[in-house]
Amino acid sequence: MPDVFKDYVKNKNSRPGPLKGVRVLEVCTLLFGPAGPSFMAALGAEVIKIELPPMGDVTRSLNPFGWFYKEQGPMFMHINTSKHYMALDLHIDWGQQIFKELAAKSDIIEFNLRPAVTNRWNIGYEDIKKVNPGIIYIEKNGFGQWGTYAEQDRPSNDGAAQALSGYAWMSSFPKRPPMKQSVWICDVFGAMMGEVAVLAALHHKKKTGKGQFIEMSQTENIMRAMGWVWPYQQMTGNGVEPSGNRDQCICPADTFLCKDELFVALAAPAPDEFKGLCKAMGKSELADDPRFKEHTNRLETENALAILKIIADWARTKTAGEIEELGKQSGFAATRLHNSRDMCEDPQRRARGFVKDLDDPLYGKYTDHELPIMMSKTPPKHRWSVRPVGFDNDFIMAKLLGRNQAQIEELYLHGVLGKWKDAQGRRPPSDWDGQSGAILRR
Amino acid sequence: MTENKRPKWAEWADHVRSLDDPAKNFEKPEALDDLVVLDLSSRSMAGCFCSSLLAELGAETIRIEPPGGDLVRTYSPNGVMHRGTGLAYLQEGRNKYHVTLDLDKEEGREILKCLVGAADVLIETYPAGVMDAWGIGYEELAKINPRLIYTSISGYGQFGPESARKQYDYDNVSQARSGIQYGTGEILPEGKTYDEMPYAVPTKAGPWIAWAASGTFGAMGILSAVYYRGVTGEGQAIDIATPEAYERLHDYALHWYSDQGVLNERFGNLDTALWLYGFYPTKDGGVFLGGLRLEMWKAFVDIIGKYDEWGAEQWTTLAPFMKKDWQLKYQAMINPETEKYTSQELTMKSVEYAKTGRLAPITPVIAEIVSPDKAMRDEVWRDRGVFTPVQDPVYGSIVCAQSQWKATETPPRTKWVCRPVGYDNGFVYLKYMGYGPVKLQELSGKGII
Repeated sequence: MPDVFKDYVKNKNSRPGPLKGVRVLEVCTLLFGPAGPSFMAALGAEVIKIELPPMGDVTRSLNPFGWFYKEQGPMFMHINTSKHYMALDLHIDWGQQIFKELAAKSDIIEFNLRPAVTNRWNIGYEDIKKVNPGIIYIEKNGFGQWGTYAEQDRPSNDGAAQALSGYAWMSSFPKRPPMKQSVWICDVFGAMMGEVAVLAALHHKKKTGKGQFIEMSQTENIMRAMGWVWPYQQMTGNGVEPSGNRDQCICPADTFLCKDELFVALAAPAPDEFKGLCKAMGKSELADDPRFKEHTNRLETENALAILKIIADWARTKTAGEIEELGKQSGFAATRLHNSRDMCEDPQRRARGFVKDLDDPLYGKYTDHELPIMMSKTPPKHRWSVRPVGFDNDFIMAKLLGRNQAQIEELYLHGVLGKWKDAQGRRPPSDWDGQSGAILRR
Repeated sequence: MTENKRPKWAEWADHVRSLDDPAKNFEKPEALDDLVVLDLSSRSMAGCFCSSLLAELGAETIRIEPPGGDLVRTYSPNGVMHRGTGLAYLQEGRNKYHVTLDLDKEEGREILKCLVGAADVLIETYPAGVMDAWGIGYEELAKINPRLIYTSISGYGQFGPESARKQYDYDNVSQARSGIQYGTGEILPEGKTYDEMPYAVPTKAGPWIAWAASGTFGAMGILSAVYYRGVTGEGQAIDIATPEAYERLHDYALHWYSDQGVLNERFGNLDTALWLYGFYPTKDGGVFLGGLRLEMWKAFVDIIGKYDEWGAEQWTTLAPFMKKDWQLKYQAMINPETEKYTSQELTMKSVEYAKTGRLAPITPVIAEIVSPDKAMRDEVWRDRGVFTPVQDPVYGSIVCAQSQWKATETPPRTKWVCRPVGYDNGFVYLKYMGYGPVKLQELSGKGII
């Protein structure tokens, strides 16, 4: 282990996040929108999530098979960490004015609304630019702000992006229906890429003082990750077809069923890796077989299927654990298929602090993921959980805008600021003591 | 397609397009044109993807390969090569200068140290310990350049009990280790075996998404570190493990298991946690249906003409629909209805419903599940600059997915797709070391470049 990561987890709190001093405003719901700002929060930015009172983000209602954690939607909890929670009615003029005051003091604003909605709310890019010319303003949605699909005002979801990009099509077995992913890949990957756009814009702003407007379509973005598919179709004139767990560009690289009915994934394209695998199988001669000797020969579909069949037959005689161990010894990549039990219990994930137990004033102790970027001088930190709708109103209004209590009360009275409805996922957990976690007034 | 009447907000769309149309990308400045990036990726497209993102934003990116070229150049479907390079690398060599350097040789490592002196970012993907053993790990290089942001992307990370494993990082293995593959794929019906249904198994995503995830988190970490360096002058080391990067894209599975002991089992083309949300068959293929708010689900039921029969008027909450038995029950009821239409018919019904339906403007998400072939022919993406071919001086006109976001000031752009092995040795070594043809000939003779 390099010294620089010695006691990394233990010493995490002795360093700030890299984005200390950056402020992000978020008006987002579901996943594509809010996931990005949560990454920024882990990186040390101050993130203010603005919801519409009193119901807020619809994700608060979502749950796997009816399971809520302390009444809260677990996916909402995963995607909205370490933010401040404000509920501001952006449909009304006064709310829009307050938003502009906040925008004037922010570096980044993120939205995931249908095209032109921000414009209708008088908080579009041009409106905000007037109060903050250096603002970095990003709108993320299904189809961007212009073009045929955008102008048809089509709604979108992660699954729509998986469908329209061809991603699902090439993620199934041959001659089987296209397969939807169990994760919201276009949402979260889009959110990640959105922050790359924002951080690059922040760098540009440091150099020039200039802000910018950014728009991202989740379908277009996932296409960027599909790589070789596009030139293949261009050059061969053939459409790409699915190949199950076989990697079409790397051989051998596939998932195999083992003796113990568990699965193992392995890859061994490099000469040393392939030789190591053949030796481990007790078939060293295969490494010199003209069909398999060079990686490019091995990739020819007929040869690929032949070598994969040989490996599959061998894998059926070993346990997944045995093959993983052989991979370690012989230098080819191999792992037993992990599941959510491994996520939770694996000592590696724990030792790296990637999986950790939180200690939250509202939601208590529970297990969640850290940002998977380990930074030696500025460790990202998942610090606190989600909050009820409008939970930090008073704090934000007082700290950023200098409003006193009477002024804040007036805003509540006129419905500009709002608090949670007495409903699942909006109100505090039932065991909340009425004080914990509140910042300004308890 | 129905008559294209432009929306009320067409002026807004035109205005935004006038500011951020990718057709104008090359008139604009580049966000990262003050950064120099060294990409030492070995066997891994994660590192290449990471440096591509920086190179698309204008960073001067120097790709360092061993004298024979990196293995990634052989990654290609069916082994197809285009002018000596695999198709996958024709996407992720973009905008980079390509030099060769044998890091196994002392003299090669000395040259690397010189380049490091001028670099802002270094990316490497060797198993942990390889760079240290060569004497070019973070600690050594930071002595030369304390401002260096040194990024490692690997299968098992730089620390932790598994980090001593000397195995390279491959996408399919990382997908398997992330926990996500376990929960994706067709359900094996009770009483059936994997031998009978070899496709009803945990199924990985087709694209190299684990690599793309760690590469993108890498870029996020690097740009954050650049920001911090701007404040303090300090560089740092960044450590990303590809299975963790991809696992982070999972949502509630970890929490669900730790609190309830529930495993993330496969649920086919439905979604464990969402309704209405899944793939459904049509006359000519299939569509995605989405309606995560009660009204959207009702609107869908209205579209297929079952609003009254199924009693949609009475529904007051989506909650029961998310339960497993209701999901399966309604899936079976929806299937024969969607099969009455083509994918296009259903899609346009949803667009129409937003204008004229009983719950308008609320409408469900309906999207055809297309092949990548059909996606590439879709005029909408072409119009938005995603498939604009790159005119490469060496490789010709190549279609590359690009313009993954649009921006008014510093959009990403692709100038060339790749370079042959060692193509830029002359340019780069002259620029940074003052090495001319005689010296390069000597280094080449010794097998260093």
